[in-house]
Amino acid sequence: MADRFRPGDRVLTSRADPAHHTRLPRYARGAAGTVLETEGRYPLPDDRSRGLPAEPEPVYAVSFPAAELFGAGDHQVTLALWESYLRPLTEETKPGE
Amino acid sequence: MSDQHGGAAHGLAARVRQVESLLEQRGLIDATELDRALEAFLARASPANGARVVARAWVDDGFRARLLADANAALPELGLSMGGGIQDQRLKVVANTETTHNVIVCTLCSCYPIALLGPSPSWYKSESYRAQVVRDPGAVLRGFGYEPGPDVEISVWDSTAESRYMVLPRRPAGTDGLGEADLAALVTRNGLIGVAAV
Amino acid sequence: MSRINDVGGMQGFPPVEQERDEPPFHADWEAHVFAMNASLVGRGVYNLDEFRDAIERLAPQEYLAASYYERWFLAITRLLEEKGVLTAREVAGG
Repeated sequence: MADRFRPGDRVLTSRADPAHHTRLPRYARGAAGTVLETEGRYPLPDDRSRGLPAEPEPVYAVSFPAAELFGAGDHQVTLALWESYLRPLTEETKPGE
Repeated sequence: MSDQHGGAAHGLAARVRQVESLLEQRGLIDATELDRALEAFLARASPANGARVVARAWVDDGFRARLLADANAALPELGLSMGGGIQDQRLKVVANTETTHNVIVCTLCSCYPIALLGPSPSWYKSESYRAQVVRDPGAVLRGFGYEPGPDVEISVWDSTAESRYMVLPRRPAGTDGLGEADLAALVTRNGLIGVAAV
Repeated sequence: MSRINDVGGMQGFPPVEQERDEPPFHADWEAHVFAMNASLVGRGVYNLDEFRDAIERLAPQEYLAASYYERWFLAITRLLEEKGVLTAREVAGG
Protein backbone atom coordinates (compact mmCIF):
# COMPACT_ATOMS: atom_id res chain seq x y z
CA MET A 1 0.00 0.00 0.00
CA ALA A 2 3.03 2.30 0.05
CA ASP A 3 3.33 5.03 -2.55
CA ARG A 4 5.15 3.76 -5.60
CA PHE A 5 6.99 7.05 -6.14
CA ARG A 6 8.85 9.53 -3.95
CA PRO A 7 9.83 13.17 -4.42
CA GLY A 8 12.70 13.38 -6.87
CA ASP A 9 11.77 10.21 -8.76
CA ARG A 10 11.84 10.42 -12.54
CA VAL A 11 8.65 9.15 -14.15
CA LEU A 12 7.23 8.60 -17.61
CA THR A 13 3.57 9.29 -18.29
CA SER A 14 1.32 6.89 -20.14
CA ARG A 15 0.85 7.21 -23.89
CA ALA A 16 -2.67 5.77 -23.74
CA ASP A 17 -5.46 7.68 -25.46
CA PRO A 18 -8.50 6.14 -23.82
CA ALA A 19 -12.06 6.35 -25.07
CA HIS A 20 -13.20 7.16 -21.56
CA HIS A 21 -12.79 10.12 -19.20
CA THR A 22 -9.24 10.58 -17.95
CA ARG A 23 -7.21 13.32 -16.28
CA LEU A 24 -3.91 12.92 -18.11
CA PRO A 25 -4.03 15.63 -20.80
CA ARG A 26 -2.78 14.89 -24.31
CA TYR A 27 0.04 17.42 -24.04
CA ALA A 28 1.59 15.53 -21.10
CA ARG A 29 1.40 11.95 -22.45
CA GLY A 30 4.57 9.95 -23.06
CA ALA A 31 6.58 12.62 -21.26
CA ALA A 32 9.42 12.38 -18.74
CA GLY A 33 8.94 14.35 -15.52
CA THR A 34 10.04 14.61 -11.91
CA VAL A 35 7.87 13.88 -8.89
CA LEU A 36 7.65 16.92 -6.58
CA GLU A 37 5.42 15.54 -3.85
CA THR A 38 2.41 13.39 -3.06
CA GLU A 39 -0.87 15.30 -3.08
CA GLY A 40 -3.04 12.70 -1.39
CA ARG A 41 -4.92 9.53 -2.28
CA TYR A 42 -8.03 9.62 -4.45
CA PRO A 43 -10.03 7.14 -6.52
CA LEU A 44 -9.13 7.06 -10.22
CA PRO A 45 -11.55 9.28 -12.19
CA ASP A 46 -11.27 7.00 -15.23
CA ASP A 47 -13.09 4.36 -13.17
CA ARG A 48 -15.37 6.59 -11.10
CA SER A 49 -16.75 8.23 -14.20
CA ARG A 50 -17.80 4.83 -15.52
CA GLY A 51 -19.38 3.64 -12.30
CA LEU A 52 -16.55 1.16 -11.69
CA PRO A 53 -15.23 0.52 -8.19
CA ALA A 54 -12.15 2.62 -7.49
CA GLU A 55 -9.88 2.43 -4.46
CA PRO A 56 -7.95 5.58 -3.57
CA GLU A 57 -4.48 5.66 -5.06
CA PRO A 58 -1.68 8.23 -4.72
CA VAL A 59 -1.76 11.41 -6.77
CA TYR A 60 1.57 13.10 -7.39
CA ALA A 61 2.58 16.61 -8.42
CA VAL A 62 4.86 15.92 -11.39
CA SER A 63 6.90 18.65 -13.01
CA PHE A 64 7.96 18.81 -16.67
CA PRO A 65 10.17 21.25 -18.55
CA ALA A 66 8.15 22.89 -21.34
CA ALA A 67 10.64 21.66 -23.92
CA GLU A 68 9.82 18.09 -22.94
CA LEU A 69 6.12 18.71 -23.56
CA PHE A 70 6.13 21.07 -26.54
CA GLY A 71 9.65 20.98 -27.95
CA ALA A 72 10.07 24.64 -26.96
CA GLY A 73 9.68 26.99 -24.01
CA ASP A 74 11.67 27.91 -20.91
CA HIS A 75 8.95 27.36 -18.36
CA GLN A 76 7.91 24.44 -16.15
CA VAL A 77 4.51 22.77 -16.15
CA THR A 78 3.39 20.81 -13.11
CA LEU A 79 0.41 18.48 -13.24
CA ALA A 80 -1.29 16.42 -10.54
CA LEU A 81 -1.24 12.84 -11.82
CA TRP A 82 -2.68 9.57 -10.52
CA GLU A 83 -0.19 6.79 -9.95
CA SER A 84 -1.92 4.73 -12.67
CA TYR A 85 -0.80 7.29 -15.25
CA LEU A 86 2.88 6.90 -14.33
CA ARG A 87 5.71 4.40 -14.59
CA PRO A 88 9.34 4.69 -13.54
CA LEU A 89 11.61 6.32 -16.09
CA THR A 90 14.40 3.88 -16.78
CA GLU A 91 16.74 3.14 -19.66
CA GLU A 92 14.11 0.76 -21.01
CA THR A 93 11.17 3.15 -20.71
CA LYS A 94 12.98 6.35 -21.72
CA PRO A 95 11.41 7.77 -24.88
CA GLY A 96 13.60 7.92 -27.99
CA GLU A 97 15.12 11.20 -29.18
CA MET B 1 -17.24 31.44 -26.62
CA SER B 2 -20.63 32.39 -27.96
CA ASP B 3 -22.70 35.32 -26.77
CA GLN B 4 -25.58 33.88 -24.81
CA HIS B 5 -27.51 37.13 -24.36
CA GLY B 6 -30.87 37.65 -26.01
CA GLY B 7 -32.98 34.91 -27.55
CA ALA B 8 -30.83 31.86 -26.86
CA ALA B 9 -30.36 32.68 -23.19
CA HIS B 10 -34.04 33.43 -22.75
CA GLY B 11 -34.87 29.96 -24.04
CA LEU B 12 -32.22 28.46 -21.78
CA ALA B 13 -33.56 30.24 -18.71
CA ALA B 14 -36.99 28.77 -19.36
CA ARG B 15 -35.58 25.26 -19.85
CA VAL B 16 -33.56 25.51 -16.65
CA ARG B 17 -36.68 26.53 -14.75
CA GLN B 18 -38.56 23.65 -16.32
CA VAL B 19 -35.97 21.06 -15.33
CA GLU B 20 -35.69 22.59 -11.87
CA SER B 21 -39.41 22.27 -11.44
CA LEU B 22 -39.38 18.61 -12.50
CA LEU B 23 -36.50 17.87 -10.13
CA GLU B 24 -38.32 19.55 -7.30
CA GLN B 25 -41.38 17.40 -7.98
CA ARG B 26 -39.11 14.34 -7.76
CA GLY B 27 -37.69 15.60 -4.47
CA LEU B 28 -34.17 15.92 -5.85
CA ILE B 29 -33.83 19.63 -5.27
CA ASP B 30 -35.46 22.14 -2.96
CA ALA B 31 -35.74 25.56 -4.57
CA THR B 32 -35.70 27.53 -1.32
CA GLU B 33 -32.77 25.55 -0.01
CA LEU B 34 -31.02 26.12 -3.33
CA ASP B 35 -31.39 29.90 -3.12
CA ARG B 36 -30.22 29.96 0.47
CA ALA B 37 -27.16 27.82 -0.27
CA LEU B 38 -26.28 30.02 -3.24
CA GLU B 39 -26.55 33.21 -1.20
CA ALA B 40 -24.45 31.73 1.60
CA PHE B 41 -21.82 30.58 -0.86
CA LEU B 42 -21.50 33.96 -2.59
CA ALA B 43 -21.34 35.76 0.75
CA ARG B 44 -18.63 33.47 2.09
CA ALA B 45 -16.40 32.84 -0.94
CA SER B 46 -14.58 35.70 -2.66
CA PRO B 47 -11.11 36.87 -3.71
CA ALA B 48 -11.04 38.98 -0.54
CA ASN B 49 -10.40 35.73 1.34
CA GLY B 50 -7.33 35.04 -0.75
CA ALA B 51 -6.15 38.60 -0.25
CA ARG B 52 -6.40 38.20 3.55
CA VAL B 53 -4.39 35.00 3.41
CA VAL B 54 -1.69 36.69 1.34
CA ALA B 55 -1.52 39.76 3.60
CA ARG B 56 -1.15 37.57 6.69
CA ALA B 57 1.60 35.54 4.98
CA TRP B 58 3.42 38.79 4.17
CA VAL B 59 3.49 39.98 7.78
CA ASP B 60 3.82 36.66 9.61
CA ASP B 61 6.66 34.31 8.59
CA GLY B 62 5.35 31.49 10.78
CA PHE B 63 1.94 31.64 9.08
CA ARG B 64 3.60 31.78 5.69
CA ALA B 65 5.58 28.63 6.44
CA ARG B 66 2.48 26.83 7.73
CA LEU B 67 0.50 27.98 4.70
CA LEU B 68 3.04 26.67 2.24
CA ALA B 69 3.41 23.38 4.13
CA ASP B 70 -0.31 22.67 4.57
CA ALA B 71 -2.71 25.36 3.42
CA ASN B 72 -5.86 23.51 4.55
CA ALA B 73 -4.53 23.41 8.11
CA ALA B 74 -3.49 27.08 8.04
CA LEU B 75 -6.73 28.58 6.66
CA PRO B 76 -8.72 28.17 9.91
CA GLU B 77 -6.25 30.55 11.60
CA LEU B 78 -8.08 33.23 9.61
CA GLY B 79 -11.49 31.64 10.03
CA LEU B 80 -11.38 30.35 6.46
CA SER B 81 -11.66 26.89 4.94
CA MET B 82 -11.99 25.00 1.68
CA GLY B 83 -15.15 23.34 2.94
CA GLY B 84 -18.78 24.12 2.28
CA GLY B 85 -18.73 23.05 -1.34
CA ILE B 86 -19.57 19.80 -3.09
CA GLN B 87 -16.50 18.21 -1.60
CA ASP B 88 -13.61 19.51 0.50
CA GLN B 89 -10.57 20.11 -1.65
CA ARG B 90 -6.87 20.25 -0.95
CA LEU B 91 -5.48 23.77 -1.31
CA LYS B 92 -1.87 24.17 -2.35
CA VAL B 93 -0.40 27.67 -2.16
CA VAL B 94 2.57 28.31 -4.43
CA ALA B 95 4.85 31.23 -3.63
CA ASN B 96 6.32 33.62 -6.17
CA THR B 97 9.98 34.37 -5.55
CA GLU B 98 12.74 36.46 -7.10
CA THR B 99 13.37 33.64 -9.55
CA THR B 100 9.97 31.94 -9.96
CA HIS B 101 6.57 33.23 -11.03
CA ASN B 102 3.62 30.85 -10.71
CA VAL B 103 0.41 30.74 -12.74
CA ILE B 104 -2.59 28.44 -12.36
CA VAL B 105 -4.83 26.78 -14.94
CA CYS B 106 -7.15 23.85 -15.41
CA THR B 107 -6.61 22.82 -19.03
CA LEU B 108 -9.20 20.02 -18.91
CA CYS B 109 -12.12 21.97 -17.48
CA SER B 110 -12.05 24.90 -15.02
CA CYS B 111 -10.96 23.62 -11.60
CA TYR B 112 -10.31 26.53 -9.26
CA PRO B 113 -10.28 27.11 -5.46
CA ILE B 114 -13.91 28.18 -5.64
CA ALA B 115 -14.72 27.41 -1.99
CA LEU B 116 -12.21 30.07 -0.95
CA LEU B 117 -12.25 32.56 -3.81
CA GLY B 118 -15.75 32.20 -5.27
CA PRO B 119 -16.41 31.51 -8.97
CA SER B 120 -13.53 31.91 -11.39
CA PRO B 121 -13.56 34.61 -14.08
CA SER B 122 -14.85 33.58 -17.52
CA TRP B 123 -11.46 34.06 -19.13
CA TYR B 124 -9.98 31.43 -16.79
CA LYS B 125 -12.57 28.94 -18.10
CA SER B 126 -12.00 29.87 -21.77
CA GLU B 127 -10.37 27.59 -24.34
CA SER B 128 -8.06 30.50 -25.18
CA TYR B 129 -6.55 30.60 -21.70
CA ARG B 130 -6.53 26.87 -21.09
CA ALA B 131 -4.89 26.12 -24.43
CA GLN B 132 -2.26 28.86 -24.41
CA VAL B 133 -1.01 29.28 -20.86
CA VAL B 134 0.65 25.86 -20.64
CA ARG B 135 2.36 26.33 -23.99
CA ASP B 136 3.30 30.04 -23.93
CA PRO B 137 2.65 31.52 -20.48
CA GLY B 138 4.87 34.51 -21.27
CA ALA B 139 2.58 35.56 -24.11
CA VAL B 140 -0.52 35.11 -21.97
CA LEU B 141 0.96 37.19 -19.16
CA ARG B 142 1.97 39.90 -21.64
CA GLY B 143 -1.66 39.92 -22.79
CA PHE B 144 -2.56 40.78 -19.20
CA GLY B 145 0.04 43.54 -19.19
CA TYR B 146 2.49 41.68 -16.98
CA GLU B 147 6.05 40.74 -17.78
CA PRO B 148 8.14 38.88 -15.20
CA GLY B 149 11.82 39.85 -15.31
CA PRO B 150 14.29 38.07 -17.60
CA ASP B 151 15.72 35.96 -14.76
CA VAL B 152 12.33 34.76 -13.62
CA GLU B 153 11.21 31.25 -14.57
CA ILE B 154 7.49 30.76 -15.05
CA SER B 155 5.94 27.73 -13.40
CA VAL B 156 2.49 26.69 -14.63
CA TRP B 157 0.30 24.51 -12.40
CA ASP B 158 -2.41 22.48 -14.16
CA SER B 159 -5.18 21.44 -11.74
CA THR B 160 -5.68 17.98 -13.20
CA ALA B 161 -6.59 16.25 -9.92
CA GLU B 162 -8.15 17.20 -6.59
CA SER B 163 -5.71 19.92 -5.51
CA ARG B 164 -6.67 23.52 -6.07
CA TYR B 165 -3.84 26.00 -6.38
CA MET B 166 -3.49 29.62 -5.35
CA VAL B 167 -0.52 31.90 -5.91
CA LEU B 168 1.15 33.75 -3.05
CA PRO B 169 2.38 36.90 -4.81
CA ARG B 170 5.51 38.72 -3.70
CA ARG B 171 4.98 41.64 -1.37
CA PRO B 172 5.38 44.85 -3.38
CA ALA B 173 8.26 47.17 -2.53
CA GLY B 174 7.54 50.27 -0.45
CA THR B 175 4.77 48.66 1.63
CA ASP B 176 6.62 48.35 4.94
CA GLY B 177 4.39 50.78 6.76
CA LEU B 178 1.10 49.21 5.73
CA GLY B 179 -1.17 47.23 8.03
CA GLU B 180 -2.73 43.89 7.05
CA ALA B 181 -5.99 45.36 5.77
CA ASP B 182 -4.16 47.82 3.51
CA LEU B 183 -1.85 45.05 2.30
CA ALA B 184 -4.84 42.84 1.50
CA ALA B 185 -6.31 45.68 -0.57
CA LEU B 186 -3.27 45.46 -2.87
CA VAL B 187 -3.95 41.82 -3.76
CA THR B 188 -6.06 41.18 -6.86
CA ARG B 189 -7.77 38.02 -8.09
CA ASN B 190 -5.48 38.09 -11.12
CA GLY B 191 -2.51 38.07 -8.75
CA LEU B 192 -3.91 35.00 -6.95
CA ILE B 193 -4.24 33.21 -10.29
CA GLY B 194 -0.84 34.40 -11.41
CA VAL B 195 -1.59 36.61 -14.42
CA ALA B 196 -0.49 39.71 -12.50
CA ALA B 197 2.37 40.48 -10.12
CA VAL B 198 0.00 40.98 -7.19
CA MET C 1 -10.14 9.33 -28.74
CA SER C 2 -9.02 12.59 -27.18
CA ARG C 3 -11.92 14.77 -26.27
CA ILE C 4 -12.65 18.35 -27.22
CA ASN C 5 -12.15 19.65 -23.67
CA ASP C 6 -8.49 18.56 -23.73
CA VAL C 7 -7.19 21.82 -25.19
CA GLY C 8 -3.88 22.26 -23.33
CA GLY C 9 -1.26 23.32 -25.89
CA MET C 10 -3.76 23.53 -28.75
CA GLN C 11 -3.05 26.36 -31.15
CA GLY C 12 -5.35 28.71 -33.04
CA PHE C 13 -7.50 30.13 -30.26
CA PRO C 14 -7.89 33.92 -30.08
CA PRO C 15 -6.09 35.96 -27.40
CA VAL C 16 -7.53 35.81 -23.90
CA GLU C 17 -10.17 38.48 -23.28
CA GLN C 18 -11.00 39.83 -19.85
CA GLU C 19 -14.46 41.10 -19.00
CA ARG C 20 -14.40 44.15 -16.74
CA ASP C 21 -16.06 43.82 -13.31
CA GLU C 22 -17.47 40.47 -14.22
CA PRO C 23 -20.20 39.21 -11.85
CA PRO C 24 -19.97 35.65 -10.45
CA PHE C 25 -22.93 34.66 -12.64
CA HIS C 26 -24.17 36.49 -15.74
CA ALA C 27 -27.78 35.46 -15.27
CA ASP C 28 -30.00 33.80 -12.66
CA TRP C 29 -30.24 30.62 -14.70
CA GLU C 30 -26.46 30.19 -14.49
CA ALA C 31 -26.55 30.40 -10.71
CA HIS C 32 -29.41 27.92 -10.65
CA VAL C 33 -27.51 25.47 -12.84
CA PHE C 34 -24.53 25.79 -10.50
CA ALA C 35 -26.66 25.14 -7.44
CA MET C 36 -28.65 22.36 -9.14
CA ASN C 37 -25.43 20.50 -9.87
CA ALA C 38 -24.27 20.79 -6.26
CA SER C 39 -27.61 19.44 -5.09
CA LEU C 40 -27.63 16.50 -7.49
CA VAL C 41 -24.04 15.52 -6.70
CA GLY C 42 -24.73 15.95 -3.01
CA ARG C 43 -27.67 13.58 -3.24
CA GLY C 44 -25.63 11.02 -5.16
CA VAL C 45 -27.62 11.18 -8.41
CA TYR C 46 -24.23 11.28 -10.12
CA ASN C 47 -20.65 12.00 -9.06
CA LEU C 48 -18.30 14.77 -10.18
CA ASP C 49 -16.30 12.48 -12.44
CA GLU C 50 -19.50 11.44 -14.24
CA PHE C 51 -20.39 15.11 -14.53
CA ARG C 52 -17.06 16.05 -16.13
CA ASP C 53 -17.34 13.01 -18.39
CA ALA C 54 -20.80 14.13 -19.55
CA ILE C 55 -19.46 17.59 -20.47
CA GLU C 56 -16.59 16.00 -22.37
CA ARG C 57 -19.02 13.82 -24.32
CA LEU C 58 -20.69 16.85 -25.88
CA ALA C 59 -20.10 16.91 -29.63
CA PRO C 60 -17.07 19.13 -30.33
CA GLN C 61 -19.10 21.75 -32.22
CA GLU C 62 -21.68 21.83 -29.43
CA TYR C 63 -19.00 22.12 -26.75
CA LEU C 64 -17.18 25.00 -28.44
CA ALA C 65 -20.36 26.92 -29.27
CA ALA C 66 -21.97 26.60 -25.84
CA SER C 67 -21.34 29.02 -22.99
CA TYR C 68 -19.81 27.59 -19.83
CA TYR C 69 -23.01 27.04 -17.86
CA GLU C 70 -24.86 25.92 -20.94
CA ARG C 71 -22.34 23.07 -21.14
CA TRP C 72 -23.14 22.27 -17.54
CA PHE C 73 -26.87 22.24 -18.24
CA LEU C 74 -26.46 20.03 -21.31
CA ALA C 75 -24.33 17.60 -19.29
CA ILE C 76 -26.73 17.57 -16.35
CA THR C 77 -29.79 16.88 -18.49
CA ARG C 78 -27.94 14.14 -20.36
CA LEU C 79 -26.99 12.48 -17.06
CA LEU C 80 -30.53 12.82 -15.72
CA GLU C 81 -31.80 11.06 -18.81
CA GLU C 82 -29.10 8.35 -18.73
CA LYS C 83 -29.82 7.72 -15.07
CA GLY C 84 -33.56 7.47 -15.70
CA VAL C 85 -34.42 10.48 -13.54
CA LEU C 86 -36.03 12.34 -16.43
CA THR C 87 -37.36 11.03 -19.71
CA ALA C 88 -35.96 12.19 -23.06
CA ARG C 89 -39.19 14.09 -23.61
CA GLU C 90 -38.93 15.89 -20.29
CA VAL C 91 -35.33 16.80 -21.02
CA ALA C 92 -36.32 18.17 -24.44
CA GLY C 93 -38.89 20.37 -22.77
CA GLY C 94 -41.97 18.36 -23.66
